[in-house]
Amino acid sequence: MLDQNKELTVTQDGSRLYEKAKMDGIETVWERHEAQQPQCGFCDMGLSCRICIMGPCRVDPFGEGPQAGVCGADADIIVARNLCRMVAAGAASHSDHGRDLVEVLAGVADGTAIGYQIRDEEKLKRVAQEYGLAIDGKSTLGLAGELAQAMMEDYGMRQKAIKLVSRAPEKRRAIWEKFNLTPRGIDRETSEMMHRTHMGVDNNWQTLLLQAMRNALSDGWGGSMIATEVSDILFGVPTPRPTTVNAGVLKKDQVNIVVHGHNPVVSEMVSKACLTEDLVALAKKKGAEGINLVGVCCTGNELLMRRGIAMAGNHLMTELILSTGAVDMMIVDYQCIMPSVGKVAGCYHTKMISTSDKAQFPHMEHKEFHPDNAEQKAVEVVREAVENFANRGDVLVPVAPQKAVGGFSVETIIGALGGTPEPLVEAIKAGKIRGAVGIVGCNNPKIKHDYGHVTLTRKLIENDILVVDTGCVSVANAKAGFKLPEAADMAGPGLQEICNALGIPPVLHMGSCVDNVRILVLVSALANALGVDISDLPVAGSAPEWYSEKAVTIGTYFVASGVTTHLGPMPPITGSMNVVSLLTDGLKDVVGATFAVQPDPEKAAHFLRQTIEEKRKALGLDVRTVG
Amino acid sequence: MKQVVVHPERCVGCMQCMLACATSHSKSLSLFAATRETPQPKPRIHVGAGRFNEGFPNRCRHCDPAPCQSACLAGAIYRRANTGTVLINPDRCINCASCAMACPYGVIRFHEDPLGPAGHSIAVKCDNCSSRVANGLIPACVETCKSGALTYEEMDAAMRRKNRAVARSMSLDAASSAMPTGVALLKTVRQSELQLQTSALRSQGGDNA
Repeated sequence: MLDQNKELTVTQDGSRLYEKAKMDGIETVWERHEAQQPQCGFCDMGLSCRICIMGPCRVDPFGEGPQAGVCGADADIIVARNLCRMVAAGAASHSDHGRDLVEVLAGVADGTAIGYQIRDEEKLKRVAQEYGLAIDGKSTLGLAGELAQAMMEDYGMRQKAIKLVSRAPEKRRAIWEKFNLTPRGIDRETSEMMHRTHMGVDNNWQTLLLQAMRNALSDGWGGSMIATEVSDILFGVPTPRPTTVNAGVLKKDQVNIVVHGHNPVVSEMVSKACLTEDLVALAKKKGAEGINLVGVCCTGNELLMRRGIAMAGNHLMTELILSTGAVDMMIVDYQCIMPSVGKVAGCYHTKMISTSDKAQFPHMEHKEFHPDNAEQKAVEVVREAVENFANRGDVLVPVAPQKAVGGFSVETIIGALGGTPEPLVEAIKAGKIRGAVGIVGCNNPKIKHDYGHVTLTRKLIENDILVVDTGCVSVANAKAGFKLPEAADMAGPGLQEICNALGIPPVLHMGSCVDNVRILVLVSALANALGVDISDLPVAGSAPEWYSEKAVTIGTYFVASGVTTHLGPMPPITGSMNVVSLLTDGLKDVVGATFAVQPDPEKAAHFLRQTIEEKRKALGLDVRTVG
Repeated sequence: MKQVVVHPERCVGCMQCMLACATSHSKSLSLFAATRETPQPKPRIHVGAGRFNEGFPNRCRHCDPAPCQSACLAGAIYRRANTGTVLINPDRCINCASCAMACPYGVIRFHEDPLGPAGHSIAVKCDNCSSRVANGLIPACVETCKSGALTYEEMDAAMRRKNRAVARSMSLDAASSAMPTGVALLKTVRQSELQLQTSALRSQGGDNA
């Protein structure tokens, strides 16, 4: 059915495994995407509304048919409401992930989260101080309990502002105050967003979109930031460590366990269980050389950042990884796990285990992990995986693994710079580094797999722009070889010089998709060092292959924080030119940053370079012409 | 010869065919850009609502003999010999609407069109996507229809298929409807909602009288 001449991926492991999947009769995301063509034009333009059942309604973009829903909502209102609900769903997802970590933190404090511990006491103290807690004379566990309680308050409605907005530069906070964008409570903003988009509540498309920004900020500086900070406290602040990436990280002679999903709460326990001596001995008894734990998607990124555990692939690789036939077990938690993977695994011996009380999937065995039983459950499932090794059929591991370095937390980056962002600021001032771009987000079958990420990243580093990445992008870039200190050779002369001096790659892996907040913290540190607002910095964001609601929220909190952000695929807003022009132009007067849409990564690179040079000009720094 | 065949019982009223039709008769050929064109392209297929608000994709039947063609004194309407498609020459159309009055199906519209003369309204109707078909594509409305209400096939083949379905439904042990349960359920509910409305009106009317 698929056009044979259409190249689906730029990756070698991806295209070989796609061939294998096809031979094995597996239907992948690409076939399903093809079967959906042409996709609904009303929905694609944001012009369909399913919010109430006076509808469903749609507005005819050609003006012949209806121009308003049954309730009277016109194209502007319908498009805005739909987009707002995407933001709410994205914020809810990441922030609920954060909530699970806060529960573990509380569980560690009261002794119910067995096997979890405080790995970074320093960070616990630092964050506790930011929450205004007195730290002197308190036991670690006592402080952890207090911090968990304080974070729970952030989720509620008892305060005027969530705590960690204090990390943003003063000028930024003043803008948020001026436009009423300061998030008050994490769950509160999502609830209010859902309330406002109910039929007959907020029908001003501009105020709806302002609430969407406040909602996104409640995630970026709230739920997601809590997720990252508590993960660091519980599992350690990431530091650079070598790792390997691509499908080649699966081992023919070892028990291969793949963790898929997002939250380190499960994957950390699995990683601990894989080191259990008697399980390793059992693996050997079964004829395997050992137990090989690898990741796909962001829970893999969490492990890579802290333990150097290998990454087998990103979003569009999740089905293909199973088609190697080498996966003895895939353990999933939540988010971005295609409901198809259970069926794909059914073609092989692979056991599929779902672990979260909030996420179940077809053709998977459900074994619920909770903070009080996770340690023991992890041992249980790893044992099952080891037992399953004997059932393997033919295996195809198509490529050799690619080396990479990951684990660049803000703490590490500042540490590498000698404890202050000053050297980076100097390099930017001197023009050796023109600026920085955070490339984040997903894969999407609408864009050739990893083409957007890799092309954009290459163009930017060639032009002396430092790239930091997270999520699925970070896997694409690691596979492309950008994450080794030697990759400095691919960078422009200025960036190359800085990378060589510091011994870092030109592309820094900053973590999972909740870890985008590390980028917010980094740009805040840079802005404070320069005494300017984030929107004055020569930085930008990009999501070249985004697909999910979470990505809409991330993009929105980037823009609301002052970072101009490029999107590859077009969000469903073209039904309202008012919304399009507000997001791509009008927001400049509100938050000093806008969105830009450009599916072609070469053109996007041009746009991002221009954005950075314009910011440099405004700061009085030297400017390059972007040809 | 293949033609567009309408299967009304399958139409879910999504109006996708209208969007696809307008887009494929635009200059830019892309949905978003087409909505920004002046003059705006318009669909040649029109989804109407039936008595129970079920959708019905209404398009030119390319009748033979075609009443519109007989009524066209300007000689703008002609039939392409090899395909049987009835076409309107935009340069000869005098916008008199005689064709529309003659058309038994109400599928001719009058407006300025991206593919017609500038600044001048003309009669516009389905052209069987002649230019798409010439390029090896199928008509846009058929390509976009996800429920099978529009197909592009030999009429005889479509009729054979329907004949078979009808025959099978006559078997004694056949399920009463070939319609998926969910679709049938929705139809039943919609019908009863509407019947309630109309009977309420009737009883109101009765009281008044």
